[in-house]
Amino acid sequence: MNHDHQNNQHQKEGEASETSRPLSPWLVGTFMLALCWGGFYLAFNSGGFRQDVYESNAVNWAGGGAQAAAPVDPKVIGKRLYTQNCVVCHQANGMGVAGQFPPLAGSEWVLSQGNHAENHLVILLLNGLQGPFQVKGQLYNNAMVPWKQLADEQIADILTYIRSDWGNNAPPIDAAFVAKIRTDNAAQGDPWTQAQLQACPPVNDSAPAATPASK
Amino acid sequence: MSENTFPHHHEDVTHDGHVTVDSRAIDASVRLPVLVLFGNAIHWLVVAAVISFILSIKLVAPEFLAGISFLSYGRLAPMARDLMLYGWASQAALACGIWLMARLCGRPLGTVMGGVLHSTLLVCAAVLWNVAVLLGTLAIFAGYSTGVEWLEYPNWASAMLFLSFLLIGIWAVLLFDRRATGRAEVAQWYLVAAFCWFPWVYGTANLLLTWKPVQASAQGPVQSWYCGSLLALWLLPVSLAALYALLPRLLGCHLSRRNLATLGFWLLLLLGGWNGMDRLIGGPVPAWMTSAGVVAGVLFLIPVVIVMINVLGMRRNPESAAAKSIPCRFLVMGAYSLLGVGILGALASLPDISASVRFTGVTEGKTQLWILGAISLPLFGVLYEAVPQLLGRDCWCATLAVLHYTLTVVGLWMLVGIMVLGGLFTGLALSDPTVSFLNITSYSYPFHMMECAAQLLLLSAAVILGANITRALAADYLFNKKTGK
Amino acid sequence: MHRLPTLLSGIFLVFLTSWLGLVAYPTLQLGRLTPVVDPETGGTLPAIYGGQALAGQRIYASEGCVSCHSQQVRQASVTSSDIERGWGTRPSVARDYLRDSTAFLGSRRLGQDLSNVGVRLPDAKWHYVHLYHPSAVCEGSLMPSFSNLFIVRKIQGQRSDEALDLTGADAPKAGYEVVPTAEAKNLVAYLIALRHDYPLPEAPVKKGGAAQGK
Repeated sequence: MNHDHQNNQHQKEGEASETSRPLSPWLVGTFMLALCWGGFYLAFNSGGFRQDVYESNAVNWAGGGAQAAAPVDPKVIGKRLYTQNCVVCHQANGMGVAGQFPPLAGSEWVLSQGNHAENHLVILLLNGLQGPFQVKGQLYNNAMVPWKQLADEQIADILTYIRSDWGNNAPPIDAAFVAKIRTDNAAQGDPWTQAQLQACPPVNDSAPAATPASK
Repeated sequence: MSENTFPHHHEDVTHDGHVTVDSRAIDASVRLPVLVLFGNAIHWLVVAAVISFILSIKLVAPEFLAGISFLSYGRLAPMARDLMLYGWASQAALACGIWLMARLCGRPLGTVMGGVLHSTLLVCAAVLWNVAVLLGTLAIFAGYSTGVEWLEYPNWASAMLFLSFLLIGIWAVLLFDRRATGRAEVAQWYLVAAFCWFPWVYGTANLLLTWKPVQASAQGPVQSWYCGSLLALWLLPVSLAALYALLPRLLGCHLSRRNLATLGFWLLLLLGGWNGMDRLIGGPVPAWMTSAGVVAGVLFLIPVVIVMINVLGMRRNPESAAAKSIPCRFLVMGAYSLLGVGILGALASLPDISASVRFTGVTEGKTQLWILGAISLPLFGVLYEAVPQLLGRDCWCATLAVLHYTLTVVGLWMLVGIMVLGGLFTGLALSDPTVSFLNITSYSYPFHMMECAAQLLLLSAAVILGANITRALAADYLFNKKTGK
Repeated sequence: MHRLPTLLSGIFLVFLTSWLGLVAYPTLQLGRLTPVVDPETGGTLPAIYGGQALAGQRIYASEGCVSCHSQQVRQASVTSSDIERGWGTRPSVARDYLRDSTAFLGSRRLGQDLSNVGVRLPDAKWHYVHLYHPSAVCEGSLMPSFSNLFIVRKIQGQRSDEALDLTGADAPKAGYEVVPTAEAKNLVAYLIALRHDYPLPEAPVKKGGAAQGK
């Protein structure tokens, strides 16, 4: 059965009966506000509309060179590296495992207290440890793998992080210092013992990099 | 089948009554090209839905169909995306555009350019389009993808698409110029704009990214501009034309805020291209481009809100039989999808939120809502309204139509909801550098499972639509044979 | 706007704004960036790709790697999580993509960002095994296996240098070896060449250790 859609064969459909009502002032006001916001946002977040400025919070109206990106806090990178590499043994809370893996929180080696210096800390992370080892009055007899495959920057970031978390508060370690200690002690490759470490003359990082403000 | 499902085409009152339009003659003149385009579009929709479903399985079980080079995720994903964009959406938009433009301008095909241009030429263009899509898809399958997102067809295939479009687009624009009616409707502006934009957008993007690629340092913004323009300046205007033209006629009312619609039209033009930059917030582009993307993403809400105000203004009585008809329901749900896109886009453009959600399921979900919702749903509405008028008889199976609507809408919102939720979750985890990437992958497993289910719903919807139109066209063919037409 | 010319002019002019800003400007400005000279080595930055790496780019394109992997370290003003995660030492800028034929910026991170993968994972053997069976190397990985880029062949005389060291279920049966095809070698050469860790005028970087993330 042919349904009659076409019963209006000659319908006058071309002319549109579209009309205009006055616009609501609220609507227009909201739109204007949005456009204003857009304008201000563009003005203050466009790096001066320069081609070589990629960070949008750099308003560079006067011209001049591009600004470097705000440096990333090394503690954040250090925490990520710690989580990827160290957490298995030393745990996320830095307390280690009793009898097996020494704690890092409050550890005199980490904080470079007493006759423990910062170069000892760097060496033991680079080269690893073997034999009996005393931390916070407890004796541990386990092996720590060497981490010399990590870059100087990364060693520095990890150490900076562990020296600042879990109640620890010691100055950060610099990548240049790590590089220096790495070359100075390149001869002794195998994991060190506690005796060997403490025989090593103490060297502290004389000019640690200032910690940039956290993002 | 109930007569009330598809209401009569309403008679519009003219100002002077001088203009009479023979809609039957117009329909007869565009019948073949529009049906060819719609039919092929639905065919590609089904294929795209199958591939999308396979892709969603691969995210749950990566070993599914693994090791077969041409069935890897990296080859199927661009195929699915390009089939949705060029196989389904663009073709359905062409069909919709031709039909609406012819009806709105009140002139049958063949009256333009001295009768030289004929439906045959349009059908040839449609066939060329489909050949280009088929060969382009097979080329990606075989490993000849260009690697540029959304423009993976090899150069010869994209050139064929471009040529095919010109054959159709030029005609549509000229028809507007020679129209029988006086005052132009909002819908007609959108159609003219869409038919003008696509060649410009497609041609420029292909020229600079694949035909004679510009230095790669400049390709990022061009590619983002293309993605934004394709959706917001080619496909969306056709869907909006469908909303502005069809909705008042179906509901027996008229657009009462033409000035608002005008504002929305020009703002869409202005913001559409810039909107694509939300793909590059924080990316390797100068800061002002990022900020422009942020601003465009947020301000895009303005044309979206304007469309919603107009649509809700027209649909004053949601309980009427007309409002419950299938085309109407698709059109209105399309408008709601657009609202979802606008809100999602505005939120995801803000730098602090983009920092977490960019590259996650949030952006993918927004793209799916764009293509499957804001663009496809109104095109479905036009499909259900146009085909009976072109065939001259009620041809849809009502049950299948309602099933298609329900499955599409449920599947779409389920898919988008899960992708956005999963994306938020993934994004927050990605922002925390202590959470390893593989952990994040395993957390997103349940979301990928649910996306699988949603894709299955969408696949069923596409298959049902395919069955419905096959039935309609076959029945029409048999009927014509019987009555000796 | 009832006449076509008026409508067309309006459309043209308004649309022109985004075209000027996002097409013309990048093409004329960013598209004309040139490499800079490395003050230390005298070479250019970014360093040009070798022939294998250039061929590898085509494999990267045709295999659709960009569907899952991005290649951009985001600006610090938006987020520093890319750098914190070890995916780069500085944000990526437009000049970094000078030597590419296609900028594979990517829009989805189903897999890791690859802009500095040559710094993180410089070992070709690791890449071969990973491409052959990703979930054996990274458990739970969604990456599909690209075993079609490898050949399983009978050992002729001596085991080839290029043969993959596979264990367990992946290992070929006795007397057979798995070797990468030329395509696999090109792709891996490209991956190893991917790095954005050198300083540029618009993106200075502190000289120091390379980033190594997971």
